[in-house]
Amino acid sequence: MLSKSQAKAFFLIGTVGFSLIFVGLTVDTFQRIPEQTNQKNMTAEVVRGKHLFEQKNCMGCHTILGEGAYYAPELTKVFERRGEAFIKAMLKDPDSMYPGQRRMTNYNFSDEEISDLTAFLKWIGTLDLNGFPPKPDLVRSASPTATGDTSLEQVVLKTEDRPLVFNQMCVACHSLNGQGGTVGPALDNIGSQRDITYLTKWLKDPMAIKPGTTMPKLPLSEEDIAELSAFLSSLKGSR
Amino acid sequence: MKYSSQRVAYWFFAVCMLLFSLQLVYGFLMGFAHIGYDGLHDLIPFNVARSTHTNLLVMWLLAGFMGAAYYIIPEEADREIISIKWAYVQLIAFVIVGVTAIVGFHFEWWEGRKFLEIPRPLDYLVVVDVLLFIGLIGGTIWKGHRYTTTSIVLFFGLLTAALLYLPGMINTDHQTHDSYWRWWVVHLWVEGVWELIMGAIMAYLLIKLTGVDREIIEKWLYIIVGFTFLSGILGTGHHYYYIGTPRYWLMIGGVFSALEPLAFLGMAIYALAMAKKGGKSSTNRTALLWTLGTAVMSFVGAGFLGFAHTLPQVNLYTHGTLVTAMHGHLAFWGAYACLVLAIITYSMPYLTGRKLADTSTNIFAFWTSNIGMVSMTIAFGVAGIAQVYLERKMGLDFLLVQKEIEVHFFGLILAASLFTIGIIAFVYNFIRFGAPVGEVRGAE
Repeated sequence: MLSKSQAKAFFLIGTVGFSLIFVGLTVDTFQRIPEQTNQKNMTAEVVRGKHLFEQKNCMGCHTILGEGAYYAPELTKVFERRGEAFIKAMLKDPDSMYPGQRRMTNYNFSDEEISDLTAFLKWIGTLDLNGFPPKPDLVRSASPTATGDTSLEQVVLKTEDRPLVFNQMCVACHSLNGQGGTVGPALDNIGSQRDITYLTKWLKDPMAIKPGTTMPKLPLSEEDIAELSAFLSSLKGSR
Repeated sequence: MKYSSQRVAYWFFAVCMLLFSLQLVYGFLMGFAHIGYDGLHDLIPFNVARSTHTNLLVMWLLAGFMGAAYYIIPEEADREIISIKWAYVQLIAFVIVGVTAIVGFHFEWWEGRKFLEIPRPLDYLVVVDVLLFIGLIGGTIWKGHRYTTTSIVLFFGLLTAALLYLPGMINTDHQTHDSYWRWWVVHLWVEGVWELIMGAIMAYLLIKLTGVDREIIEKWLYIIVGFTFLSGILGTGHHYYYIGTPRYWLMIGGVFSALEPLAFLGMAIYALAMAKKGGKSSTNRTALLWTLGTAVMSFVGAGFLGFAHTLPQVNLYTHGTLVTAMHGHLAFWGAYACLVLAIITYSMPYLTGRKLADTSTNIFAFWTSNIGMVSMTIAFGVAGIAQVYLERKMGLDFLLVQKEIEVHFFGLILAASLFTIGIIAFVYNFIRFGAPVGEVRGAE
């Protein structure tokens, strides 16, 4: 059995040795970070966004690179998931975006601050994170649904036929084919209930049609609205 | 107690009780927010509650370590603390900085960096305060009549903990650099040098409570802290899987953090073996109970549950989910909170001169808080696993998943209530001990 002095030697040699290895790896890591993180795209805007992200303690609710608190969504890929317009609208007026849901503090950001934060989130999405966040892998191997004619795989593939803005913004609150949020009503049958003219007007300004509605007026372009109302009016309950 | 300057420990422990109680309040705020009752959102938004909750934890554990050092070091070094006046100055400065930080959080005076939210100007004050503390402890050991392994390991742990606070103060413009240095502080504290402090305090408690020969206990102390660093230093790699650092961290972090439970397992086996070996019928059985509780719960919480999601193949899915909260709660409770409560339970009869350690209140506190914390861990675990499958594996929307797992937060609040009852009992028992007027026996 070890004597006390041998045990002490084991502690000292192990600690010093592994500390040195760790410092060496740290030096190597810092040399590799610029390439792995697209540091060349880290503009002054991105840096300002990073500091603003810190100043408002965003990771006190959200996670970024998987780090933070677990009260609000992961933001690493939020630029890809929700798109610029949604992020900007959310930062401008968080209370209107998810009515009746978990709340985000309204920080009264200026337009410049909003574009800094958006630039930061866009850059974060381009980092090579060794595979994080993972793509959902259970959906593709799920068995056909009860109706028998549609496998979940096809449902997933079908999302590619939708307007991009639908997949980024609308699904944050509404669902189609059972995918998406549950804040607003499902949209599977919206085309049978409302026609294209109504939908166009509705998307332009929901409050004008139904005062008191919790649906926010979203930052949509004319083209977005035309594309969306055409798509929505085609949804007549069929899968 | 042997020396009158040990008395300062009492006030550190009193600060512990106060900050710990406050920590629970903020925990409940977050628990209720998770099930939709966020009535205080405008006053105390989630990120404020979260920063306050975790920083209060760090503060009261540090206050506990400091109190433990002020109690243990005079006995180990065989002399009074070199300056009792400065020890009180250090205590008061610590409280002022801590309270300022906590109040500041409520006005967004912070750095939004997980666990290191204390704003920069206060960071410097923390450094000054800790330097004073290290000076007092180091000076006492230096001028003392003897150097024991326990006091050297404790001092080394406190000193490196102070040094490792510094990487957290490096200014960065790059999120990956920020994260990289942040884990130098957080990981190398809790899975590195804090374990030295833990090992030393446990060794002291075991020497006193079991009567086993010091040489045997201290030999094992070296082996266990040796294992801690062997696995823990490169184990930092498990924080470098997915933050924009090279791929080799997956391998290094995976292998070395898989070894991390060994140090905790070693600690648990050693504590249980020493307790069994010790023939001395202990006068403070509840302190021994808390000590063995530390040994066992730190293995379960930090060792076993840490291992459960540390491998990169698993962590890819659990990273950034409530699974982390599950591990975090039991790990901190087992390894550090129980330890501080153990040294408090051990030292209070000497500090106050009242024999109230072995009361049914304290035994009730031990079992109730432990059962409560294990239940909380289960609630977090179920919520976390459900979140992993629904959100990460099936791709459901974040808020939809949060609705689905709300019921587990209801369970969490129930479990936390049980835990709180235990802690209230402990604090009540602490108050019953009364003022630190215990008899000073003097050097033998």
